[in-house]
Amino acid sequence: MYSIVVENLIKKYNHFVAVDNISFKVKRGEIFGFLGANGAGKTTTIKMLCGLLQPTSGNATVAGYDLKKDYKSIKKNIGYMSQRFSLYEDLTLYENMQLFGTVYGIPRKILKERIYESLDSLQMTEKANSLVYSIPLGWKQKLAFATAMLHHPQIVFLDEPTSGVDPIVRREFWNMLYETANKGVTIFVTTHYMDEAEYCEKISMMSDGQLKLIGTPSELKSKMNVDSIAELFQKIVNR
Amino acid sequence: MRELLMILRKEFIHIWRDRITLLLVLALPIVLVLFFGFTISTEIKNAKISVLDLSNDSKSKILLNKIAASNYFQIVSYPNSESEIDFDFKNKNIKLAIIIPSNFENKLEVEKKATIQVISDVSDINVASVLNSYFRVIINDFLNENYVTNSEAATFEVITQMLYNPEMKSVYMFVPGIIALIMIIVTALMTSITLAREKETGSMRMLLITPVKKVYIIIGKIIPYMLLSFICTLLIIIISVWVFNMPVEGNLAFLLFLCFVFMLTSASFGMIISALVRTQLDAMMVTMMGLFLPTVLLSGFLFPLDNMPQLFQALAHFFPAKWFIIAIKDVMIKGSGFMEIWKYLLILFIMACILITISLIRIDKKE
Repeated sequence: MYSIVVENLIKKYNHFVAVDNISFKVKRGEIFGFLGANGAGKTTTIKMLCGLLQPTSGNATVAGYDLKKDYKSIKKNIGYMSQRFSLYEDLTLYENMQLFGTVYGIPRKILKERIYESLDSLQMTEKANSLVYSIPLGWKQKLAFATAMLHHPQIVFLDEPTSGVDPIVRREFWNMLYETANKGVTIFVTTHYMDEAEYCEKISMMSDGQLKLIGTPSELKSKMNVDSIAELFQKIVNR
Repeated sequence: MRELLMILRKEFIHIWRDRITLLLVLALPIVLVLFFGFTISTEIKNAKISVLDLSNDSKSKILLNKIAASNYFQIVSYPNSESEIDFDFKNKNIKLAIIIPSNFENKLEVEKKATIQVISDVSDINVASVLNSYFRVIINDFLNENYVTNSEAATFEVITQMLYNPEMKSVYMFVPGIIALIMIIVTALMTSITLAREKETGSMRMLLITPVKKVYIIIGKIIPYMLLSFICTLLIIIISVWVFNMPVEGNLAFLLFLCFVFMLTSASFGMIISALVRTQLDAMMVTMMGLFLPTVLLSGFLFPLDNMPQLFQALAHFFPAKWFIIAIKDVMIKGSGFMEIWKYLLILFIMACILITISLIRIDKKE
């Protein structure tokens, strides 16, 4: 029932320990908020779980596949989206989706159908042949998410997906995430917006490479005796 | 395979939609060849010279007529003494003065040895050495024409015979150099910049997370720029043959194959540079300083390598342009084939293999 199982994962760069012996589990269909200050080791963890980095030691299972033995199968079953790069600006919406759909090995006919389906649900069909450059940032983020979902991954990793996006679009974006999670897709998301952390079913907090806390938002708030996740974050980071 | 084609298509779209860069890249070789062809020239015509003929006999007259008849020299004065030669250098802007000894004919035929004194203005070394070489050619002709049948030919000092480029046409020198430069700019520079751009914007991470093979990402990145640089190379060869009468003595297909191997080497340099840097700007700086400049300075293209200090000569071995320029000159001018230049091809190929391997290993380490 778990999509992600991490056991004693460690990543060292020479003497610097970026990820210091973390363990956690993420249930299938869960929205899992992965919080922490910059440099806490979030990105390194995501890179390992996506098969971009080899862990120094420890084990992990992602989408049922062993990270060390079967990272190729993992790649086929996960989606990834980051705020830093969403899509190629000088390609049209359709061309972007076609590119990423193809490199995920979706057959041509099915891909075409899926692209128009998801453009329809985003109400962007008219813009299919416009350059990504010409559409607003909020649209781009929604489009990037739809693109990451084209190959129907079991898990999608979102690295600060809503940075720089206005509150209304953020709301719409989170509605998309809920819908997706309801279909059984696990959502692993990092964010700097603490109000967004409240929307997650489960959150974890990293600091100095270690996993300090893990639980549902309400559990953690009562346990640490604070009113909001923002306060909780302050406490953990300053500790 | 479909994945590779799609990545290629994406890269061609990038190139096609960035019209300004595309136009610049295609115009650059044309501009460079025409610029070098019409401005920089080591050919010297009608250089002014003075002649002090102390013998004034029939043989010296034949020699002087020969000199005057050549396009290279123009005899502007006949001074009467050595001190007047000095005056000519200062006031008549002559580049060369020739002193024919007294009893020239007699010395040649009886003593079998005559010494002609040549005084050069070496304030411009290149001009002086070129003129000296022209003069030697004329002397050589003079001897052949007048004494070749005579078994007791007069002895002169050793005279260099100039092979392959007897007229010292500068086009022979710069076309190979420009082809090298353009290929460095288009393949190495463009490859390193666009790869660095993918890292900078984060799209490289997106691509690496997908199940697509790393080799496809790299090949998809290199092929479009190799094709572009191939077009540029063809443009250079066409213009230099058509406008400047550059010879292509060797097999054209083999020449293009040689260019292809050098392109591969340049592209692999572009890849390794982009593997070492983080941003487009760094990629550009490193390619310019680390590859473009050595190609200009250390390839023998503008400055002869033989005159450089040992250290620089040794350094030049590590840059592909030196080997490429030697090889392409041999193919274009001497008509060499595979047997003559396989060594250079091998060096370029090995360089490419090593660099491509390293960058494939490093690509995801530092995205």
